Amino acid sequence: MIQKKICLLGASGVGKTSLVKQFVEGIFNEKYLTSIGVKVDKKIISLAEQQVQLMLWDIEGQDRYHVFQERYLRGAAAYIIVVDQTRTISLRQGIDIHTLARQSTNCPAILAVNKNDLPAAWRLDEDEYASLAPLFDLHFSTSAKTGEQVEAMFLAIAELLHGNKKNDITT
Amino acid sequence: MPKKPSSEQLGSQQDIEQVRALILGKENHLVKETIKKEARHTVSHVLTEALHDRQNQDGSVDKVLQPLVEEAVKHSVNHNRERLVSSLYPIVGSLVRKSVTAFLADFMEKTNQLIENSLTIKGIKWRIKAWQSGVSFAQYAASQTFVYRVEHILLIHRETGLLLKAVDLHDNGKSTADLISSMLTAINDFVGDSFLANEDGLKEQLQSVSTDNFSLLIKPGPCALVVAAVIGNAPQKVSDQLQLTLEEVHRLYLEELNNFDGDDLPFDNSENLLRDCLLSEEKSLKKNTGTMSWPAWVLAGILVLFAAFQVITWFGNQQLADRIRQLDLQPGIILKQLNVLGHDEILLDVLRDPDAITIHDWFQTNGLSMDAVKLSERRYFSLDPDILYRRAQQLLKPYPDLNINWQNNILILSGTLDLLNTEKLLNALSVAGFSEEVNLNTRQLGSVSAIAPDNEPDIKQHVFNTLIGRISSVQFDFAVASEEVTPKMQLLLQSVYQDITRLIPLAKELNLDFALVVIGSSDKSGNKTANRALSLNRAQNIAQALIQLGLSKKSIFVTGLGQLDIARVGDTARAVMLNVLVTSKAIPQARSR
Repeated sequence: MIQKKICLLGASGVGKTSLVKQFVEGIFNEKYLTSIGVKVDKKIISLAEQQVQLMLWDIEGQDRYHVFQERYLRGAAAYIIVVDQTRTISLRQGIDIHTLARQSTNCPAILAVNKNDLPAAWRLDEDEYASLAPLFDLHFSTSAKTGEQVEAMFLAIAELLHGNKKNDITT
Repeated sequence: MPKKPSSEQLGSQQDIEQVRALILGKENHLVKETIKKEARHTVSHVLTEALHDRQNQDGSVDKVLQPLVEEAVKHSVNHNRERLVSSLYPIVGSLVRKSVTAFLADFMEKTNQLIENSLTIKGIKWRIKAWQSGVSFAQYAASQTFVYRVEHILLIHRETGLLLKAVDLHDNGKSTADLISSMLTAINDFVGDSFLANEDGLKEQLQSVSTDNFSLLIKPGPCALVVAAVIGNAPQKVSDQLQLTLEEVHRLYLEELNNFDGDDLPFDNSENLLRDCLLSEEKSLKKNTGTMSWPAWVLAGILVLFAAFQVITWFGNQQLADRIRQLDLQPGIILKQLNVLGHDEILLDVLRDPDAITIHDWFQTNGLSMDAVKLSERRYFSLDPDILYRRAQQLLKPYPDLNINWQNNILILSGTLDLLNTEKLLNALSVAGFSEEVNLNTRQLGSVSAIAPDNEPDIKQHVFNTLIGRISSVQFDFAVASEEVTPKMQLLLQSVYQDITRLIPLAKELNLDFALVVIGSSDKSGNKTANRALSLNRAQNIAQALIQLGLSKKSIFVTGLGQLDIARVGDTARAVMLNVLVTSKAIPQARSR
């Protein structure tokens, strides 16, 4: 089976843990998240040809008290920057984290704008979107509460990574 | 040894240079340019051979290369440490292992001496077994000490923390092994970043994680980790095997590890390698389960002794209880409760007839001590045949002329006795539990003798009344719709007859007349006419039986009451009752006149 390490990054409280909580298999208590700063769950995605197992590293939220844990990004096949659409600051923090992450890895980055079941505090105009979109390989508007776009996001990530691999083989 | 060029050779080289200058002249630089263009190609063909020849010639290649190699290694250590470690890893592992083996051998030798000096019971026992097995004491001690079993082996990609292969002892699959692998990698990273780097500048690595039930032994390599979950106390052998396996994995799968992209398929064949690490010492485990330490033996001995004591005590108590229970077979004694708590405490609760043997005497007769007995005794009136006979003997002591015969638990009296004493005796026997139709036979008791002339009329009257009362109290009970006189009734009829024959002389002396009234009755079932006839027939049958015994028909009046409509007895009033009508003797008419 193909396995891929995926990291979830983002500011505190943007819903990283909630985003995966109902859609993954896990055996570890969330105390790990607060004690060592990471908790690993897994999600098996069935593609047309085969299954891909995503090992989801839910990394503790980064804020003024918790610095970006670069060590956990090592070996990641992709990472998801999660931001909260009800808090404008979370987008800026997400971009900062993405910039830091880019210093360690060039793997695909995905933007997940979470909590789309609540009213948005900000909306990107075309210029802003044009400047932001190239930073990420994929972007989704998700809701951990309703589950909207969550499965679709994991499926798209799996397809993206599996497609990259096939391209590697063909090239 | 490299040869030094001779003066002749030097001279000829100078001559060649002069000839070359004369021939080529100013065009010499063109030749040099041409040679230079082909130099790389030309030299590459002879470089190895030239180095070899020059090294053989004067040994100068080593001297030239040594500083270059040192500089290159130094540069690699400073700038590309991981790659250098990867390249040297298999060699260094082997070297370290040899060194560690040598150290352990020395350590075991010293331990051997220490253990040999110890004089514990276990040590002596192990020494004997080691001698019997033909192995050194240290080896045997080690085999007894190290009891373990490797349950799971995980091969983890170092950089990504992804599981490459997992094997376990029971082939239970790897449902959570992938999560554990990632989490273990995360924890390892956490430890590595949380503590200061070691002297070599490398990050700290987790080597083992221990819990109450098992240990995780972690062998980190440059590209992969091998992790073993071990139950028990893992010996150095396990660690050595993990190290060997890790080196082998790196040797065989170095390229796959470096190019790992998440597909674990190329590592499927590593299963056999990993299975080599599933070591265990079940044999020694079995031995250990069968052996017990001396305190355990002592404890077990005490427990066995205690259990044996309890069994013997219980058995003794049961025997004592069985012996005391024989008391219940004794006539006139009923054992209500017996509780033998031991030879020093027996609780005994009995009912005893006054004529029965005393409990104390019975214990003494049976060789038992009363010291530990807490006796609770209450009196009762026994009807046991032996007690009845004993009681009858005491009652009959005042009448030595009477013959006593005790047959089949029936007291048979014979002989003669005056009327008054007869009544007195029969009353006493009745109170003592004797009943004519059950356990008393007085038919051979001689006819009633006349009452002495000097007896007072009041006494005679008393006896007369007593007899009448006894006759009047007699009742014959019949079955439903039956009028038959049963054999059981015959005994009672005989008793009535005897009473009446005793009554006759007394009536005469008291100047009285009497007649026997025989009254029949029936229950309420059926019609009244039939019931009346039935009651009359019953009475007639009883009267006829008495007449057959010898009574005069003239002194008997028979009547039938029919059914008795009385609430409580109406349903069962199937009986014949007797009554005695007494009148003063009629004075002759003439005389009265």
